[in-house]
Amino acid sequence: MLKRLLILSTTLATALCATAQTDHLADTDRNLERAAIMGWHVSLGAGFNIGGTAPLPLPREIRHIDSYDPGLQVAIEGRAEKRFLGSPWGIAIGVTLENKGMTTKARVKNYHMEAMNDDGTGEVRGAWTGHVRTKVDNSYLTIPLLATYRLNKRWSVEAGPFVSLRLHGSFTGSAYDGYIRDQDPTGEKMEVTSASYDFSSSLRRFNYGVQAGGEYRAYRHLAIRAQVAWSVNGIFPSHFGSVTFPLYPIYGRLGFAYLF
Amino acid sequence: MTQSHTLFRLLRHTLLGLATVSVLASCIKDEALNAECDITGIDAAWMAAHSSTIIGVPIIRNNMVAVTIRKGTDRSALDPRFTLTPGARLTFTDADGREVEGNGTQRNFATPQRYTVHSEDGMWAKDYHVAFNYPVPLGTCSFEDFRLDASGRYYTWFERDTLDGDDGERPCWASGNGGFAITGMGKNPADFPTSVLSPGYRGNGVRLVTRSTGSFGAMAKKPIAAGNLFIGEFVTGIAMSKPLKATRFGLQLVGGRPLYFEGYYTYSAGPVYTDEYQAVHPDLHDTCAIYSVLYEVEPDNVVPLYGDDVLTSPRIVAVARLTNPGEPTEWTHFRLPFVMLPGKVFSEERLRRDGYAIAIVASASQDGDYFRGAVGSELCIDELRIVWEGEE
Repeated sequence: MLKRLLILSTTLATALCATAQTDHLADTDRNLERAAIMGWHVSLGAGFNIGGTAPLPLPREIRHIDSYDPGLQVAIEGRAEKRFLGSPWGIAIGVTLENKGMTTKARVKNYHMEAMNDDGTGEVRGAWTGHVRTKVDNSYLTIPLLATYRLNKRWSVEAGPFVSLRLHGSFTGSAYDGYIRDQDPTGEKMEVTSASYDFSSSLRRFNYGVQAGGEYRAYRHLAIRAQVAWSVNGIFPSHFGSVTFPLYPIYGRLGFAYLF
Repeated sequence: MTQSHTLFRLLRHTLLGLATVSVLASCIKDEALNAECDITGIDAAWMAAHSSTIIGVPIIRNNMVAVTIRKGTDRSALDPRFTLTPGARLTFTDADGREVEGNGTQRNFATPQRYTVHSEDGMWAKDYHVAFNYPVPLGTCSFEDFRLDASGRYYTWFERDTLDGDDGERPCWASGNGGFAITGMGKNPADFPTSVLSPGYRGNGVRLVTRSTGSFGAMAKKPIAAGNLFIGEFVTGIAMSKPLKATRFGLQLVGGRPLYFEGYYTYSAGPVYTDEYQAVHPDLHDTCAIYSVLYEVEPDNVVPLYGDDVLTSPRIVAVARLTNPGEPTEWTHFRLPFVMLPGKVFSEERLRRDGYAIAIVASASQDGDYFRGAVGSELCIDELRIVWEGEE
């Protein structure tokens, strides 16, 4: 997995370098140079998100994680950083298009669930004991606002808040090999072999949180970046009854950036 | 060289960081104590010690236990022991208002006794009524005795043994309502597949309607629930996973050789016949099922008839079946003779040792147990009766 990521990222970075060198006399280059003199640095980066949309801490109802598949979650980011003269500090603002998703299988015990059927005529409500498969596939337009700090010529660290606008979202899965107690743990018990669900339409439009990361400037125009972004609001509204605990997108990213 | 070395070190550190995050996230907390509070059965040793007085299999539902015992057995000081959800406790409130241990404590079962099961986590409790009943053969079933289930959403029916004073209730009727309840499609009791019909032919009757189970039922390839009512037990627990085994037809309520099965009904079939995949079959027209089956059981090991063998089991002795119900809109009387199956005889000796069971089955869709039928098919029944030899 790691190998694949590295190969992909290197290829991408090489391609970026090649395109940038062919038209070095263009006006944009001069503008970039002018901006750099004023302390503005522009970069274009790409990376892969890996993480989870998960409750924290894991609620007691979750007894075992049977499997976890991060999938392929791509992030592309444009960033402008203003470095203050004579100071290691700077600020950066970015625009990121990114996917945050995963597929997990877990075993739960006495997990409260509510689900409205397609046409809203019936609602299943009860306590579920059994297995749950969850597939999250969300894409976001994210704007981070970061404070940057240069440790030395090559290393810098950064941290700050971000806001995300969900462009597309999918939250689906199934409950299988278990039983539901109607309404609550004292209700009628019914075994369920498999039942699927789709809560995509209940997903929140906005997420916000904090992120922190670091940059290693490997070459003049190429940096390696790593970060962790932690949403502090859940992906569902707090009154959403089908998932009783907030699910926070917590994703790490590893990527490369071309520094203009 | 040093540069790539640093690069890999950085990578390693980043990955370690990510790994730490995911380890934190995957911290599984200690298992919560059980929240369920069920009577799961009657203690096997207690059952064995009382096997000479107990008839058939005890009925254990979500809020009640009914044990049939031989007529005349002293039930004034029984000390039943039950198996419970792991960690749960069984108590009852004694005459002085104190909560005392329930398992193995002597109580007077001249009337049903109330017990409370407390969950291991202490958050939940559930009351059970436990009855030790004398058997009474099925007579005329007028469907005047019914009540809402413990959750107050749908009706259940019972027969009454008028000779048995306060403990007259016999929970011999079953329906699929408990399974339908989980789909959330029933907003009030009349929305359920099996509901009270008022007025019926005489007093109240029962209305059986084939209902859609909505998108949840469709996901599980159980898109309809046929209104049904039968003598026996509906095991809600396996209604979705093993539906043909969830309907346990028949109880040992046989009063002699059955001669006729009679009653009143009306029927109208729903417009669109669908199968378990929700495919429409324009060539098929729904019809109802009304029949009674007498079959042999081994008293020491009573096995009921199920959805897949209720009309085909080699243990069947005699069947009374309405063959061409049609669609009468007015109350229509039927009187069906029990037809003995080839090679079968009715044995008084077998009857004396409780070796027969009888089922009455009514369904708004004949193939409803395979989830085939027409939503909206409606069967109304009332005043069902098994005519035993000597009663005609």
